[in-house]
Amino acid sequence: MTMAPGRTVPINTIEITEKAASKVKQFAADKGMEKFGLKVAVKGGGCSGLTYVLDIVEGAEEDDKVVVHHGVEVYVPKKAFVFLAGTVLDFSDGLNGKGFEFANPMATKTCGCGTSFSV
Amino acid sequence: MQSRTLQKVDQSQLGALVSDCGLVRWSNSTIVEHSGPDALDLLHRLTTKELLTITEGKSRRTALTSDRGRVIDVFVVAHVEENCLMLISDSDDSERMVSAIDYFTIIEDAELTDLSGSYDRISLVGSRARTVIESVFGIAVPDDTAAIIKFGTGSVTLASDTSRGVGWFDVIGESYALDSAIKMLEKGGVTPIDSETFEYFRIDNAIPGSDREYGEHANPIEAGLLDLIDWDKGCYVGQEVIVRLDAYDKVQRELRVLVSNSPLVEKTGLTVASKPAGVVTSASRLASDDGKYLSLALVRKAFAESSADLEADGIEAVVR
Repeated sequence: MTMAPGRTVPINTIEITEKAASKVKQFAADKGMEKFGLKVAVKGGGCSGLTYVLDIVEGAEEDDKVVVHHGVEVYVPKKAFVFLAGTVLDFSDGLNGKGFEFANPMATKTCGCGTSFSV
Repeated sequence: MQSRTLQKVDQSQLGALVSDCGLVRWSNSTIVEHSGPDALDLLHRLTTKELLTITEGKSRRTALTSDRGRVIDVFVVAHVEENCLMLISDSDDSERMVSAIDYFTIIEDAELTDLSGSYDRISLVGSRARTVIESVFGIAVPDDTAAIIKFGTGSVTLASDTSRGVGWFDVIGESYALDSAIKMLEKGGVTPIDSETFEYFRIDNAIPGSDREYGEHANPIEAGLLDLIDWDKGCYVGQEVIVRLDAYDKVQRELRVLVSNSPLVEKTGLTVASKPAGVVTSASRLASDDGKYLSLALVRKAFAESSADLEADGIEAVVR
């Protein structure tokens, strides 16, 4: 099943779509990583103030919240979670594709290029 | 009719600020230590100036703006030691800077310590300020210097600020150490400046002031902080709005020095033929030798040309 961005997810978690999970697995395989997870975080910066951070890492850190979707572990630092609660991470490809896309219900404003947001 | 006594600006102090070295004491200003390996990168991502090239021993002034492109604070970033920055702002509200940076500190390894209550600040201003500092403290002070100066039992931090259009160095430290530094500087020939003379000088040189010309009510372009914007540095908070204002010529006001025969009052609206023309943001109570008063104002572009006649609550003022 593929979930479209904008779909409502429980506010106490974040989700990644099957397509996004598949891409994560592909990137991890390309890097030769057998044990991996997806770090999803937020850092200060960007036109709107907060910028998404995505990274494929070997494991969770002590303060990370861990959720599993479509066979991919997702690690979210607790301090970043308040800005990401209820987010769906999708992947769009093709000629008009934008790569990984965040549908974040906490975001009240995003910048033109879509890489930063404010809450 | 009651006559008003004309209080003129002290020419010896003004002369020191212009062509020698004046010492300005700040009664309130923001001094914050920002430490940790991610501190500089975080400020680079948040503020208007390129900061990653500020290596240890260098300083640069930058502006923190909101996502609406309004000025939250303007401060010098002094990279005094590895992973240790001192942030120095003219604002008397340190909480504003601390809370704004803290809000954006999420996954970064960086910590803020507000030293405003325990540190004092002076500024050395004038074309000979650098020479005096080098002579008194025996150190070389190239542009963009940030340095810890040790003497006797104390030490102070020095940060140069090349953004004000005049020679300007900030010195901060704990009271006892700063007092010792001031004594050394006074022996070295600096001139103490009173607050009203400094205000006259600031207005005369169109140097924007905190919560006067810049603040949440203004964007950095109209507030005269253009030199604090690096247009090619990439994203920072508010960049999209600020670039759009500039690219589409949407800035409505410009910072101007006004000249009048009577002192103006801050926050007074300006008019031209009853049409709104701007607002007075700073007003000197001292008169120049020819009896004229200076003010700073954010003036609507249509009325901002030199020699334009404006009115401020019945007082005529001319754009210089």
